[in-house]
Amino acid sequence: MKKLQGNIIAKVCAWIVLLAAAFGAGVFGVRALISFQSVASDSWQNSGRFYSALDDRRRELMEGIELSRQLELLEKQVEEGAGNPLAYADIEAIREQLEQVQEQFGRSNTWFRFRVLADNGQTLRGTNLKDDEAIVKAVWDVHYFSFELYDGGENGYYYDPETGFSDPPTAGLNPETEPAPLKLVLEYGVPEEIASAEIQDEFYQIWQTYENDRVFFDQYLTGFLNLGALTLLALIWVLWTAGHKAGEEGIAATWQERVWFDLYAAVMIAAVVVLAACTIWAAERLYWGRSYAVRGEDFDTFYNLGMLGAGALFAAGVGCGALLLRTFAVRVKARCLAKTTLLCRVWGWTVRTVHEFVRSLPLTWKMLAFFMGYLLVSIWLFAVGRYDGMFGLLYWGLQMVMAFLLAWWTLNYHRLRQGTKTIAKGDLEYQIDTTRMPYDLRLQAEDLNNISAGLSAAVDEKMKSERFKAELITNVSHDLKTPLTSIINYVNLLKSTEQTDPKAAEYIEVLDRKSQRLKKLTEDLVEASKASTGVLSVTREKIGMSQLIDQALGEWEERLTQQRLTLVANLPEGETWVFADGRHLWRVIDNLLSNCAKYAMEGTRVYLDLERGKGQVALSVKNISREPLNVPAQRLMERFVRGEESRSTEGSGLGLSIARSLTELQGGTFDLAVDGDLFKAIVTLPQAN
Amino acid sequence: MYTILICDDDRDIVSALDIYLTSEGYQTVKAYNGREAIRAAETHEIHLILMDIMMPELDGIRATAKLREGSNVPIILLTAKSEDTDKILGLNIGADDYITKPFNPLEVVARVKSQLRRYTALGGAEKGPGLLTAGPIAMDDGAKVVTVDGESISLTPIEYNILKLLLSHPGQVFSSAQIYEQVWNDPAYGSENTVAVHIRHLREKIEINPAEPRYLKVVWGLGYKIEKG
Repeated sequence: MKKLQGNIIAKVCAWIVLLAAAFGAGVFGVRALISFQSVASDSWQNSGRFYSALDDRRRELMEGIELSRQLELLEKQVEEGAGNPLAYADIEAIREQLEQVQEQFGRSNTWFRFRVLADNGQTLRGTNLKDDEAIVKAVWDVHYFSFELYDGGENGYYYDPETGFSDPPTAGLNPETEPAPLKLVLEYGVPEEIASAEIQDEFYQIWQTYENDRVFFDQYLTGFLNLGALTLLALIWVLWTAGHKAGEEGIAATWQERVWFDLYAAVMIAAVVVLAACTIWAAERLYWGRSYAVRGEDFDTFYNLGMLGAGALFAAGVGCGALLLRTFAVRVKARCLAKTTLLCRVWGWTVRTVHEFVRSLPLTWKMLAFFMGYLLVSIWLFAVGRYDGMFGLLYWGLQMVMAFLLAWWTLNYHRLRQGTKTIAKGDLEYQIDTTRMPYDLRLQAEDLNNISAGLSAAVDEKMKSERFKAELITNVSHDLKTPLTSIINYVNLLKSTEQTDPKAAEYIEVLDRKSQRLKKLTEDLVEASKASTGVLSVTREKIGMSQLIDQALGEWEERLTQQRLTLVANLPEGETWVFADGRHLWRVIDNLLSNCAKYAMEGTRVYLDLERGKGQVALSVKNISREPLNVPAQRLMERFVRGEESRSTEGSGLGLSIARSLTELQGGTFDLAVDGDLFKAIVTLPQAN
Repeated sequence: MYTILICDDDRDIVSALDIYLTSEGYQTVKAYNGREAIRAAETHEIHLILMDIMMPELDGIRATAKLREGSNVPIILLTAKSEDTDKILGLNIGADDYITKPFNPLEVVARVKSQLRRYTALGGAEKGPGLLTAGPIAMDDGAKVVTVDGESISLTPIEYNILKLLLSHPGQVFSSAQIYEQVWNDPAYGSENTVAVHIRHLREKIEINPAEPRYLKVVWGLGYKIEKG
């Protein structure tokens, strides 16, 4: 398909076929047009050409009659001896002429039939009818012509009813000196059908043309229609292949597509109109030429050449039209019709410029201008003072437009408001739909969308970097664990060897302690990073808080007792259910109790209070710090921060940070309060029913 | 005389483990990646394998899977990854136990001993009436004797009764109050917090590493249970 479209030979062939078919169609069309007259009329004797031929014959006949009259008069003069001495020569000449006329009007030379009657139809002065032939039967339509013949040859006047030329035949005549004019009537006509080709006069030609026209009209029409269809097919092919080029993707433009389309179209349409006019003119020429020209070889040559010329003109017109359609098709295919049309460009530019200008106006100006316009129309309507008919329609139309515009604005403003609210609530993915929004609101909406997109990208970036950090910490701590394993193992091995130096045992003890602390630190580090970045899986279920505290106390009681700490647990009656992840929650409480063991002053009490609130359960752990707490509560929850700055104790400084992250992972809150040496941690979790 | 295959890409760890296990009287075979471990297992008669997970060429998980195709020798995974998913994957693939790095050498020795005893006991004592078992723990209620890996341990009556309750319903979670009511035969009025202390003592006697119990598990916020199997 593509190959066919790009085929240059097929294209050239299509153009040749198009022009040739158009040429043929033109020739056939003109022929059909010319011969249509014959088809349309009911008889061949209705044509102008026939009438004119008949008239010519009539004039010739009249001349003949005049000649015979002259001859009569001359012979009379000669008989009376009053004639000119050279009259006999005239008689000879006139006789000769008359013989010629008689020859012309002989039955064997023409299809013209006539009778010449005188004395009110009483005397038959001449005819070429057979004796038993009636003129009415002999011809299709009898033509009558009456005229008066005066003596004096060329001075004779006659009355022609067709031209209306008349000279009062008797007025001004002196009946005594001049003889009365001879009143004659001509009856003439041509047979309805010309049966044989024996006599080839002008009527035979007219008849033949008529007959030919009738016979060939169908063929001309068929030829015109077929070739027209072929032209159309070729045109379709041309349009289909237009713009496609072998070995090239897309639509290839030629120089024609570089011309503005409207200019090109104007030129082409003008050319088509001129060529069409020329074709019609040529057809007319041919028609009249055929009607009145003298037939002969010269005429046939002229006629045939003229026909070809008309065909060529028609083909040229069709060609111009095809060129126009072709470039139109190419432009449509390349989707550049509007772009390459000067008027469109100018219009588009104007619209854009006005649009841009209006848009660039400050909103206040726009509103003012808009309102002024509304006011002007209102004032005009008010001045007219009529609210019926067109004015009423205009008035209400204006109000409707106003209401619609206001509604459009406010509705879109509402949409913008809703979108802003959604974004403000934290849904940074939300994008305000800006379709069909007023320009000024759309600017606002787009800016908001950009802000939210930027924010959401920033949040994503932060999440990614947090996750990356967690991964990094996990990997690093893994790499730390392997050498640490060796250290712990070899310190252990050292411990089991005999040391001669008593100090060595002491050093080994330090190594042992510190390696254990390093182990704890790496473990805490991994846990803290996992908890704070949320990569830990959380399985929340119904957890018994009292049960958990019991279990925690069971784990810690002895160690706390060693520190001489007394645990006081205030638990409400019955079980308190919370919605949490048991293992994570245990780590929270474990960390809090571990904190107590590490930092609480010896000999004091540690309070564990469990309270049920509205849908919330709060667990608070209170203890008295051994060292003064010179750090604000908020700082204590940060990583690597401990109440005392010396860092001599065993903690990693991550316990509270881990506890807070884990609590928040489970949907709870973690608060710290410091009041003098009183340290208080509160874990709040959602209650489970 | 048991032969233990030690496999870790860190040579120092391998030699440290070698020292510990040799001093306990075991023979050792060393390997430094999964491929070597498989080859060593083919050429030697191995009774237990200590296998690191993160190793070049063939990692511990794949090596374990490969070994499990033709052998049921006990495999203990040594892992620096402490995520639960890794442990579960390791145990599912056919490992018998795991130890997280950095480990305590004494714990390694204890776990090796435990696994070897179970491996060589070949089914252990016959299950008679009144014999309750879970993993290495066996309780003969008639004789009132509790053994872990065949070694008898001494329990207080309360500990014994708690263990008996849990053992007779393996996999079932008992809250402190339930345990108290069943063992003490008294309604629990806030006095059940002693249960937690007894359980902790019990765990210390049964488990090799009480902080990471394998059999007597704490279900935080719900109670306690004995792991099935």
